[in-house]
Amino acid sequence: MARRRGLVINDRQMRLVDDILNKLRQVSGSRFISLVSTSGQPITTSSAEEHPDTLSLASLAASSFAATQQLAEVLNEKEFTLLFHEGRESNLHVAQVSEQVLLVITFGRETQVGKVRLYTNRAVEVLRPIFHAIENEEQAPLLIDDDYSLLADEAIDDLFAGME
Amino acid sequence: MPLINFAAREINYKIVYYGCGLCGKTTNIQYIHKKVNPSARGKLVSIATEEERTLYFDFLPLSLGTVKGMKTRFHLYTVPGQSYYNASRRLVLQGVDGVVFVADSQITRLDENVESYLNLWDNLMDQGDDLSKLGLVIQMNKRDLGEIFSIEDMTDLLNHTESPILEACALTGMGVFETLKVVCKQVISKTGQG
Repeated sequence: MARRRGLVINDRQMRLVDDILNKLRQVSGSRFISLVSTSGQPITTSSAEEHPDTLSLASLAASSFAATQQLAEVLNEKEFTLLFHEGRESNLHVAQVSEQVLLVITFGRETQVGKVRLYTNRAVEVLRPIFHAIENEEQAPLLIDDDYSLLADEAIDDLFAGME
Repeated sequence: MPLINFAAREINYKIVYYGCGLCGKTTNIQYIHKKVNPSARGKLVSIATEEERTLYFDFLPLSLGTVKGMKTRFHLYTVPGQSYYNASRRLVLQGVDGVVFVADSQITRLDENVESYLNLWDNLMDQGDDLSKLGLVIQMNKRDLGEIFSIEDMTDLLNHTESPILEACALTGMGVFETLKVVCKQVISKTGQG
């Protein structure tokens, strides 16, 4: 049976990714960029303004993208590789980076859709090999050891104390 | 396998409440949202129909705080229970670390429970995950109603993995946090096993 898969991202990889996202935000003139996993978990963000609710955003963007893939299947299309929502003041663009990672980008009237798409596609080309490497690494979650489990158990007891 | 971000010092676990339509999955999440310390939870996101039936999922992030230097979070999801929403259920199950199977204890719901339990295993096997790493808890819900199955009978039908079983009445909150506590501890211990 296949190994259960996850993403374990180290400091060096994340610095590299953050640099790419910051640069993408600057050259595309976008407001907010986030990388999220296809299972709906936030990975990192680059933002010039106050962050939106990134947890809800990650969950909804991943689900919306997944639904789009199912729509493609229903329509006998191999895949829809991007998702675009146009609003009155802002727009949302979601692109697939790798099997487990999506790029979410928001931008307003101060920039153009074509420009954002062009630079996003270029950024995805650079990000893709980084996440391919992360997804294919043998992951040893050494951090989740007996010590972590014990401390987490205590934290769970504390969080739910008095609620049972 | 959770999402571990060493740079941001974060670990995120995904827990999915599964079960047939109207078994009480959303009620569990709503009770948790209502009772848990607001500083430890995020916004409850629900994608439901006008009749308040779950159309896609409910989502509630819970923060455990910092454990051994890592911000630890549990992301709680429900799936739509009706059998024709299987495509949505499969999507929500992606990347799952733990499952709470919510069984409706009423005798009249036997077929729906069994169908949903088999559907859960079909979907998990299709994902190709290593199921020995998956946390699983069975919650026998609606224990306050009349005309219900005994725990023994339901265990025979719905627990071939000998997973922990908890009795509950999600509407009043009985067993809701006990269930959550067991599944949270399970996902941490299971993902920690090399």
